[in-house]
Amino acid sequence: MKPKVGFYELTGCAGDMLNMLNCEDQLLSLFDVVEVKSFAMASSAHDEDTELDIAFVEGSVSTEENLHLLKRVREKSKILVAVGHCAIFGGVQISENNWEERLKKVYGDVNFIHTRPIPHEPLGMFVRVDAVIPGCPINKHQFLSAAGKLLLGTMPELYSFAVCAECKWKENECLLMKGKICLGPITRGGCGAICPTHNIPCIGCFGPVEEENVSSEYKLLLEKGYSPEELRNRMKIFGGKVREVK
Amino acid sequence: MRVIKLDKTKLVEYLRSLEEWGEVWGPVRKGEKFVFAKKDPSEFDLTARRTILPPKKFFVPPRFTMFSYRDGRWEEEFDESRRIIFGLHPCDIFGILILDRLFMEHYPDPYYIKRRKNTAILGFSCLPDEKCFCIATNTHSVEEGFDLFFSDVEGEFYLVWVGSSLGDDLTRIREDLFDEDVTEEDIERYIEWRRKRDKMFKTDLDLTGMPEIVEISYKRPIWEKIGEACLSCGSCSMVCPTCNCYNVVDENVFYEERIKRDRHWDSCMFKEYSLVAGGHNFREKRSDRLKLFYTHKLTGFMSQFGKPACVGCGRCVDACPVGINVPNVAKALKGEKVDAIWARGEE
Repeated sequence: MKPKVGFYELTGCAGDMLNMLNCEDQLLSLFDVVEVKSFAMASSAHDEDTELDIAFVEGSVSTEENLHLLKRVREKSKILVAVGHCAIFGGVQISENNWEERLKKVYGDVNFIHTRPIPHEPLGMFVRVDAVIPGCPINKHQFLSAAGKLLLGTMPELYSFAVCAECKWKENECLLMKGKICLGPITRGGCGAICPTHNIPCIGCFGPVEEENVSSEYKLLLEKGYSPEELRNRMKIFGGKVREVK
Repeated sequence: MRVIKLDKTKLVEYLRSLEEWGEVWGPVRKGEKFVFAKKDPSEFDLTARRTILPPKKFFVPPRFTMFSYRDGRWEEEFDESRRIIFGLHPCDIFGILILDRLFMEHYPDPYYIKRRKNTAILGFSCLPDEKCFCIATNTHSVEEGFDLFFSDVEGEFYLVWVGSSLGDDLTRIREDLFDEDVTEEDIERYIEWRRKRDKMFKTDLDLTGMPEIVEISYKRPIWEKIGEACLSCGSCSMVCPTCNCYNVVDENVFYEERIKRDRHWDSCMFKEYSLVAGGHNFREKRSDRLKLFYTHKLTGFMSQFGKPACVGCGRCVDACPVGINVPNVAKALKGEKVDAIWARGEE
């Protein structure tokens, strides 16, 4: 029997779903081997009752409705996969604490009718997450690799080391050594070091690598002449609530 | 060993002629650094210093597929290309000799052996920069491990050492370009060049007695200090010519109806490296991992193979953003002054 799969979006830009759809050459094969029960961006299938083998969930929990959907998906799914930075770490929206102030600044004094906003949180704050596919957006090869493993009933084995490893594999000049604020050493790899390969310093979009050494990189960049404010801002963007920056 | 001469103006022509044997790779500039690339020999940079990645990339690529499983059968995937790598410096040739022992002796690795046997090593002499310390590891002069070795002594000719029967065959492809007549003057010039080269080293590193010092230092607090600075980025392992650890992963390539097994470079600097079943980790702390790396480079290999697993190429000096590298760590263990972010506030 084909595994039953659902794709769900909470609050985010839908960039991860889009990258899954960008797997054009492999997508039909995927749909051959699974039964898609829900995929708002790709299909009109909308079966909310069937139990799922695998649920892919993108976006942060930012409204009561998001939370409700997440809990429902968790209840009916064997495996729940957090897809993308928002789902795993909370996204850029979590990078500052003054949530109420920012909400007011953007929306003014309005009555929220459809659903009430709540402070952004990653999925793991509310439910058990079985696997993650990191990135902002995710890398499609990593999605295919993770999907392949999940289809066999095993867990994805994605790179857990920092961006620098793949950056060296590509024989890039080290931008950090050249004095740029490159967050490669504190950022999870799997992106193929795509930005440094194009001479753009890593901004950290795959989120903090496990056991990131923020204080060492911070000290190093201070020595190179950057201000604490600048470093703090840069490191906060994709740091989620995990990264502590002085 | 046969020693012959090649007119310097004929080098490009000679290397081009080797394309009939295999792909010709050599050092080319990449920004401020160098990489080995498959280019027309006229683009090779003869002044190149260390390349970003060492030649291990030719024998164990960063990631490659070992075999695929399909329709109940598995099939190995070998790289059958013949390659000539021109421009390898003595340190890199020593690095290859170390990999040969690891991958060809007790545990023959068919993937390595296939690539290695299809590769011709064409060494090229070099002059040290401020990061080179091969004189301290005694890997600045090479007597084996190459098919041809070109020495760029001053004058109109390269002196070419023929190091193997394959090397000999390669000179026969354009025998007309070589000159057998090595004169007394050429020999004197070569000896003088060596003397000049040896004087150019700026390193003050002395690795004498290093194994004992590393052994006795295992519990010293210095490791914690270095550990605090280590970014665990793994760059040191990636660029080291003798680091050879790898991870093996299976992928279900469902869209091609096959399962493949890949090998990719790994590093003992990564936390996951020493993670085992049940969630236990033998080297949870960065300082423990650094100890492993440096024990392996400076002692472990020594007791097993009689020489350090460091060839003095200086790539770790080039690659570590926080100055954790063989010269700095060795000096710090010996109580010498070190200029690194983790050693500040010491004096």
